[in-house]
Amino acid sequence: MINTHALRISRICLLLAFSLGPAAQAADTPTITVSKSDTIALAFQPITGPDGPAITRVLESDLAATGYFTLSSPGSASLIVAGSSSGSQLDGKVSDHGGRSAVAGTYNGDTRAKAHAFANDIVQTLTGNRGIAGSRIAFSATRTGRKEIYIGDCDGSALQQLTHDNSISVGPSLSPDGHLLAYTGYKAGYADIYLVNLSTGSRDRIIKYPGTNSGAAFSPGGDRIACTLSKDGNPELYVCGLNGSARRLTHTSGVESSPTWSPGGDEIIYSYDDHGGPQLFRISSSGGSGQQLSTGFGYCTEPDWSPDGSKLAFNVREEGSFSVAVMDLRGGSARIVASGERPVWGPDSRHLIFSDDGVLYLMDVQTGRKKAIVSGLGRATEPTWAH
Amino acid sequence: MTPNLLRSTILLSCILLMSSCALFKKKNAGAGPYGSDSDTVGGTPLPERQEGVSFMSDNVDKHKFPPVHFAFDSYAVDSSDEGTLQAVAQFLQGGSGTVIIAGFTDERGTPEYNRGLGESRAESVRDYLLHHGADASKIQTVSFGAEMPVDPDSNEDAWAKNRRAEFGVVK
Repeated sequence: MINTHALRISRICLLLAFSLGPAAQAADTPTITVSKSDTIALAFQPITGPDGPAITRVLESDLAATGYFTLSSPGSASLIVAGSSSGSQLDGKVSDHGGRSAVAGTYNGDTRAKAHAFANDIVQTLTGNRGIAGSRIAFSATRTGRKEIYIGDCDGSALQQLTHDNSISVGPSLSPDGHLLAYTGYKAGYADIYLVNLSTGSRDRIIKYPGTNSGAAFSPGGDRIACTLSKDGNPELYVCGLNGSARRLTHTSGVESSPTWSPGGDEIIYSYDDHGGPQLFRISSSGGSGQQLSTGFGYCTEPDWSPDGSKLAFNVREEGSFSVAVMDLRGGSARIVASGERPVWGPDSRHLIFSDDGVLYLMDVQTGRKKAIVSGLGRATEPTWAH
Repeated sequence: MTPNLLRSTILLSCILLMSSCALFKKKNAGAGPYGSDSDTVGGTPLPERQEGVSFMSDNVDKHKFPPVHFAFDSYAVDSSDEGTLQAVAQFLQGGSGTVIIAGFTDERGTPEYNRGLGESRAESVRDYLLHHGADASKIQTVSFGAEMPVDPDSNEDAWAKNRRAEFGVVK
């Protein structure tokens, strides 16, 4: 199956047929094409160095979670992962049985950061898609008896309580680069949008118009926030600058909520309710009129646009309970993938995080596999995931 | 279309276009207290908040008027609450009293949707009051979504109690 001629190139490019990303297309000649249901079998040589065993554990966990790989014995694996760590530096490589290099790189940072960077490079090089290892999530949880915002990694590790408002802190949104977080806070007695700079720790109440200010969603560039404001006498969608300036997008008698941006920032999909049975609409981020999306469901809320632009995840309510639905925006119908609510896409446009009965789950939409990543913090809801 | 009519149509279009541009610019330049856009289509803008006063603060009386209630997933004012609403409207016609209307939902529905629904409930009540003579400058709104339920149980009885708008009268 392996084309020996192409193997002479220094970086083998293994392509999964279903995941042709731009990076893969631009890379060297593909040498292996794996069919849709296949995964790449990897084996590990323990990473050497003082933190080698810890790196190996994080790396195995990261790669298994991607859905692209199976971990197997060296004999049956097509590729071997190895590396050596010293101080803040990890030299990692992936090679075939002949010792020919498929991935080779140097990764810096602490133990977890090095492992995550190596895992993401392996995913990017072998599949052409972005990895999710070490990407940041945030959510609201009731551990203290009040709703506060928590942040952590997408596998549920490195969790920290971010707000200590002792009020109601909900609806977080991480900027795509993960450096900023906006949330709805009631510290001043009204629903206002707060902005936290996660690098400096500074916090500002940036959107505080009369009425309710909520549902913040960062634009792909991280320089604008789409949200719902009621200052003009009815909940409408607005696009705000980080200085709080607001530009109105919609003019209706119903309720607009939960905006989500297209990857290019030129469009917004949101939920619109006019006397029951909310539906999803699409509008230019510079204004105009919203066009209804045909989902096939009578009650759809809280949409989330995948970073590759191809899919939409949202809530569907049927017979009193909520399900997570995924729709292909290039055509095709919506399908239910799990029970739960508030699904958000990861950087790979393949995994979702959503809440179900106060527990956060990470799900591989392609395989349907899911695992609990946050539990025991009271009720955890309203996840957001940096891209 | 005759050439003359065409010419005047073009001229008129240009004038309209220019004047609407001028209007737009003026509106943006006029910013006002609420930012660059104070569009009034579809509602009466809320007045600026009063410093140091909110639905959560001690200087607000939440028991002067009873709450009004709503049907599931609805923000239409119920006719059975008209007595309460008229009393609030009357209170807001005379004197200097101001009111914060807080909208709430039951626990069914997702959090952000519920925050929108709660605000719509508060605004529906406000619209009713405005149509019955209340002064818009004396009313604020806020939504708490499904937070702070009156009854924490998960049954029809509790949900009906929790779908409400409350009145916080500033002391």
